[in-house]
Amino acid sequence: MLKYVGKRLLAALVTLFIILTTVFVLMRQMPIEGYFDNIDKADQGVIDAKLHQLGLKDPMHIQLLNFYKNILKGDLGVSNRYRTGAPIIDIIAGKAPISIQMGLISMALSLLLGIPLGAKMARSKYKFWDKIGTGFIVFINAVPAAVYYIYIQSYGSSMLKISMLFDPSKFLNWVLPVFSMSLGSIAYYAMWLRRYMVDELNKDYVQLAKAKGVTSQDITMAHVFRNAFVPMIQYIPSSLLFTISGSIYVESLYSIPGMGGLLVDVITRQDNTMVQALVMIYASIGIIGMLLGDLLMALIDPRISFAKKEGVR
Amino acid sequence: MSEVILRTEDLNVKFSLRGRVLHAIRGVSLEVYKGESLAIVGESGSGKSVLTKTFMGLLDQNGWVDSGSIWFEGNDLAQYKTEKEWLTIRGKKIAMVLQDPMTSLNPLKTIGKQIGEALELHQGLKGDDANKRIQEILLDVGIKEPARRMKQYPHQFSGGMRQRVVIAIAVACQPDILICDEPTTALDVTIQAQILGLIRDLIRKYNLTCIYITHDLGVVANVADRIAVMYAGDIVEIGTSEEIFFSPKHPYTWALLSSLPQLGVKGEELFSIRGTPPNLFNEIKGDAFAPRNPKALNIDFKERPPYFDISDTHKVRCWLQDPRAPKVEPPQVLERISTEGGNLYEQ
Repeated sequence: MLKYVGKRLLAALVTLFIILTTVFVLMRQMPIEGYFDNIDKADQGVIDAKLHQLGLKDPMHIQLLNFYKNILKGDLGVSNRYRTGAPIIDIIAGKAPISIQMGLISMALSLLLGIPLGAKMARSKYKFWDKIGTGFIVFINAVPAAVYYIYIQSYGSSMLKISMLFDPSKFLNWVLPVFSMSLGSIAYYAMWLRRYMVDELNKDYVQLAKAKGVTSQDITMAHVFRNAFVPMIQYIPSSLLFTISGSIYVESLYSIPGMGGLLVDVITRQDNTMVQALVMIYASIGIIGMLLGDLLMALIDPRISFAKKEGVR
Repeated sequence: MSEVILRTEDLNVKFSLRGRVLHAIRGVSLEVYKGESLAIVGESGSGKSVLTKTFMGLLDQNGWVDSGSIWFEGNDLAQYKTEKEWLTIRGKKIAMVLQDPMTSLNPLKTIGKQIGEALELHQGLKGDDANKRIQEILLDVGIKEPARRMKQYPHQFSGGMRQRVVIAIAVACQPDILICDEPTTALDVTIQAQILGLIRDLIRKYNLTCIYITHDLGVVANVADRIAVMYAGDIVEIGTSEEIFFSPKHPYTWALLSSLPQLGVKGEELFSIRGTPPNLFNEIKGDAFAPRNPKALNIDFKERPPYFDISDTHKVRCWLQDPRAPKVEPPQVLERISTEGGNLYEQ
């Protein structure tokens, strides 16, 4: 087990190195105009001085080496353009908490609603609740989120008698954005759980459990639900960790000062140091999330084992 | 013979498939005697599994008992509708061993838990009492080191061992009737013999009545007291093992026995029955086997034959037994069962 984790972490480091280097090199290929607000009016001396200050005049390998040196020291550097001179750590620390809080609440809500919906749909396959649920899932997947987000925002806020924009101090103002963020994942969890449960319900061991005299209620809960949940458990750590990246659309709609859209912002403004720092964080989260997912699977499913194979007798 | 434990009367089972109705069991009347081993043989789709599933209310959702009755302990199981009614039967009175041991256990539960589930349901055993009993049962079905094995998962067992576990689950319920639905089909030949031997021992030890479903006549010869031959949702011939093997009367039974590989001559093609079974979506007129029977009589195509009694234990649904029918001899090759019968039984 430990050996397996070690191997995976080593592979993760290599992956991270490749991602970071690629992004770093690509960012350096951008036209230099991007580093200036008004390049037409600046004279050559000013431009050169600025480029020199950003370290862009050095040869590529020196720039890369400096970048990795700083990371190893734990220094993400300062923002060049997005908020010039501000330490990147501070910018992220200011924005991440609200995104994480919203993300966690929304995830809890999605699991709380999506899982029972999926289970109910599987149990009443082709009947009333299954049809209602399928209608909901198709709607959520087929209609662009922007459309129903706007309806939820405008009708919701007038119904709750609150302002359209977000105010973290008021409980009611959390309801609409969190609900909007959850809709997609409710549909996602319901759809996959239904599918996996229907798969399980058709298996022979369900027939045998029935023949044993187990009630259909117990079969659903003790046998089918748990087995169907195993393939889903893999994605839970990733979704948990990615709450940090925030939801672009919901955050901009409600003017929530979160992480959503931050990466897009800094790329368009060619803030090299910010892009590199964010890419590193998101990539690490992705890699760690997948690793945790795999470990969680192994914990729950006895058939998966990282240790030496034990002979079957 | 001894008392009847289960009796079906003119049982009809239908399925609805894509808007059409399939008549899967067409008027089966069958008596199962206490303590006997009855084998139901027939080719795929002849309705053998469906018939026994009706005894436990395990028909798929699109199937139903259309008419007839299933008498068991004074109750008509054909009238059972709710799960609550069926729970008085399933496991407790009638238990089942399914065909494929690789898929009939829950992969995420230890086998101890899966056996314990049955014990708790039907005997109210929990905790240490249950653990003790689970280990006894595992030893009964020939699994050594039960204390360690009960904590293991199905994937840590081989196919034959898993089938032993499935049998252990069935026996743990202490049922009256054990239905074995092709219990050895998915296993290799050496394991087959072991499993059949095990079932036979358990039947004796726990005093079970056993219904085997199989299309393997070699298996039947090994285990059955009586044999019922099914064709197209109907029992065409029923009798003791000796009667079916040594003096079969129905042309379908003849054909079935002729196709035994043991009777084949080395170098020659094995016998096979021409044609295909009838489509049960259509109404069947006369004897269902007539279109595949080269010696069919005219009346076989017109009217369904009644049962003719050959002996107290042997009856056949076939016009050949009518006094007015011409005399048709069974195929020559069947005589070899008598001479080489020992061979078949040894299998």
